[in-house]
Amino acid sequence: MKQLVIFMMAVFVLYSCGNKSNKNESGQPASKITLTAAGATFPMPYYNMVFSQYTQTTGTQLTYGGIGSGGGIRSLTDKVIDFGATDAFLDDSAMIKMPAEIVHIPTVLGAVVIAYNLPGVDSLKLSNQLLEDIFMGNVKKWNDPKIKNNNPGLNLPDLAITVVVRSDGSGTTHIFSDYMTKISKAWAEKVGVGKSLQWPVGMGAKGNPGVAGTISQTQGAIGYIGSEYAFAQKIQTAKIQNSAGNYIAPTIASVSAAAQAEIPADTRIMLTNPSAAGAYPISGFTWIILYKEQNYNKRSKDQALATVKFLDWLVSEQAQAEAEKVHYSPLPAGTAEKAKAILRTVTFDGQPLLN
Amino acid sequence: MNSDKITKVILLFSSFIILFVAGGMVFSLVKGAIPAFKTFGAGFVFSNTWNPTQGSENYGALPFIAGTVITSVTALLISLPLSFSASLFLGEYYRGTRMAKVLGTMVDLLAGIPSIVYGLWGFYVLRPFLVELGLPNQGFGVFTASIILAIMIIPYATSLSNEIIMMVPNELKEAAYSLGATKSEVVFNVIVPSARSGIIAGYILSFGRALGETMAVTMLIGNANVIPDGFFSTGNTMASVIANQFGEADGLKLSSLIAIGLLLFLITGVINAVGKFIIKKLN
Amino acid sequence: MKYQHKQIAKSKLKSRTIKDKAIRVLVVLLSVVTISPIVLIIFKLIEKGYKQISFDFIMKTPPNSYEAMTALANGELIPGGIANGITGTLLMMVAAAAMAIPVGVVTGIYLYENPGKFMANLTRNISDILQGVPSIVLGLIAYIWVVKGITNGYSALAGSVSLAIMMLPMIVRSTEETLKMIPVTIKEAALALGVPYYKVILKVLIPTGFSGLLTGILLGISRVLGETAPLMLTALGSTIINLDITKPTSAVPLLIWEFYNDPNMVGLIWSSSLLLMAIVLSLNLISKQIAARTK
Repeated sequence: MKQLVIFMMAVFVLYSCGNKSNKNESGQPASKITLTAAGATFPMPYYNMVFSQYTQTTGTQLTYGGIGSGGGIRSLTDKVIDFGATDAFLDDSAMIKMPAEIVHIPTVLGAVVIAYNLPGVDSLKLSNQLLEDIFMGNVKKWNDPKIKNNNPGLNLPDLAITVVVRSDGSGTTHIFSDYMTKISKAWAEKVGVGKSLQWPVGMGAKGNPGVAGTISQTQGAIGYIGSEYAFAQKIQTAKIQNSAGNYIAPTIASVSAAAQAEIPADTRIMLTNPSAAGAYPISGFTWIILYKEQNYNKRSKDQALATVKFLDWLVSEQAQAEAEKVHYSPLPAGTAEKAKAILRTVTFDGQPLLN
Repeated sequence: MNSDKITKVILLFSSFIILFVAGGMVFSLVKGAIPAFKTFGAGFVFSNTWNPTQGSENYGALPFIAGTVITSVTALLISLPLSFSASLFLGEYYRGTRMAKVLGTMVDLLAGIPSIVYGLWGFYVLRPFLVELGLPNQGFGVFTASIILAIMIIPYATSLSNEIIMMVPNELKEAAYSLGATKSEVVFNVIVPSARSGIIAGYILSFGRALGETMAVTMLIGNANVIPDGFFSTGNTMASVIANQFGEADGLKLSSLIAIGLLLFLITGVINAVGKFIIKKLN
Repeated sequence: MKYQHKQIAKSKLKSRTIKDKAIRVLVVLLSVVTISPIVLIIFKLIEKGYKQISFDFIMKTPPNSYEAMTALANGELIPGGIANGITGTLLMMVAAAAMAIPVGVVTGIYLYENPGKFMANLTRNISDILQGVPSIVLGLIAYIWVVKGITNGYSALAGSVSLAIMMLPMIVRSTEETLKMIPVTIKEAALALGVPYYKVILKVLIPTGFSGLLTGILLGISRVLGETAPLMLTALGSTIINLDITKPTSAVPLLIWEFYNDPNMVGLIWSSSLLLMAIVLSLNLISKQIAARTK
């Protein structure tokens, strides 16, 4: 027995030693800095990819926990992470509640798509009125005349509409409900905007994958999910009518078009229902939040420097060019510049960290 | 002599640690739950609303208490005939045989499957199967969650009942056989009454386990924050709502979730205490 | 009259016999139904997961979303593995065991030595109540105590603490039950020979009950190996292998959850679950072997 235990411990030690040498493929001396981040799941496919690229090239280790936008905000409030990620920016009243001043850094653009499961029914067009009707439970069947009229020529079956929504608090919900509030008075009155809502109709699933999985396995289902989930699982997405009257499908180009609006200096703006002609109307930034003054909780200057250096790289052209690989849209040039400017206001003991 | 005293002190101290941990937990939970109870009062426990909209937040625990109780009771009812049969198989009918060893191992393996694997299997295999059978709501709901729960709690009741059944003295059984009783008559007229307290204890234990199950339930119950109005409708449980919304929550919502956690802690505590009391009484 | 009694008795015997056989069939049938899920689940995991299992799977870390996507698009197996989860799980298990085993065993000994006392009964009851606490609540507690209070950040230590609290009641109970089965005479003989108390514990009780204790510990470990919920709030996860207990770390069930949540990596859930199951089931079987050997 004792020998077995010793043997297993030896195996464990050898195993982890063996793995340690596998890690550092760049040949650079392993930097001892680890950056911990947590927050939104909406941009996770993108973060997942670029974070590991950064580690491979610089040696700085990065950890990201996809616990949701609210979790990211709370973790930053508790000061247990280097930076947080959220799809819903903090408004003024929320910012006051934070222990210290924070800044928002936009990192990428994404689309919230309306995904549905109707075999043989491609290019479904949903007007704003239809969105309101379906998600508020007024239209209950796919062959309802209202849907038919909007989609002449499509073979819509006599099937009940199963609305699928997020059961957990989410930035995706925030972006979706922000759009619905703008285009539907009934929605604004009855439901409103937020990460968690009291849904008039629909069954809840946990996380983007829960909703996506439910939709893809349930005929007649419809719901809102981050675009990468629809692409990866080959779920059909509906065309939404933007404020210019055009039916737009979610693509990298149409999402980028949504960011052509006037972006404020602190970049806190919702991009839903934009005015540009070719814009996909349910698009949004996702942000990273961090404290403006980085000397807190006995943080080292090295740690703070590593944080802002990484974020500076994240909004640079090199990292942004990767976004399209996972079907996200890069930041428009103007926004990236604003982001860099904000990063240069982040200080340590009052001195800016970057110049 | 001295070393004996030191040893005794160490032993005592060690048990203090458990009390300290438990007490600390209650303290932290109560501290976190106070804001919610301050805002909503004791009515929180009976309130039916769960409205997270900013500006009109109103939280109540009733939908989740209802969901927890309904799914756990249903799971217990579903598992009863199954685990009872299995414990009879192991403890009496095929006791000591190789078949019993195999079956016993497999029942134990049921306990070893992690909750998340049950959730995945339920989501990708059981649910579509139930949908094909015609279940509404795309297979999500109280019924599906109860089935998975039942499977998860079977091993606990089975192993405890099994051991108790095996402990029934042979003399009692042989006396009954010598009077001409059939095997099933011996089982139901001799073994069961004699092992009653242990069997009941096993079911109470498994019921308590069902109350707190999180991952598998949250992937299958549909996560609708209302009291389920039918057997096949969606709902939510206390453990599931905490897992779902804890990562996102802050302020009043976080406090409400901690309050629900406190309630869950108390309910499971009471159930376990009741179980122990019954065992004492029947002994 | 006697003949009629005999006839009634005979027909009753027949119906009783039929009833008896019917019940036996029912018991067997239901027992088979009871174990069918395990067969179905294992088969499903093997069917969908075996292709992914390889030496690489254990030695490498997961791919990022893009690499997985390209592999899928090319019809290849998703590259990489779950090495970070395996090391993370091992790290937290060792830490949790280091915390829970001493406290649990010593407390179990205390309960065994002081059967009637108020303190002992209180401890036993509290321990049983602790066992019923859902793991998510323990994660919440560990977040407050460790993530916020001790390590000022998500950490493997916080994860270990939540797991240790989960294991503790099981070890306490199994220690007490194991010791109760040791004949009292052995202990009394040692004491009568003048052996100091602590030596009786260390050299007589523990060695004699060792396999029972080990069974309880192994079962406790196998039970917490698959826990996901508390780790989400404490260890957070990590894309790299991390052996620093004050930093976030991955774990196999956490990785399963992350794969489930990533549209491109969802195919990895089956092989990871298969590996996890294999470890848990092996531990279960090993502990059963140990328990059987002593009987």
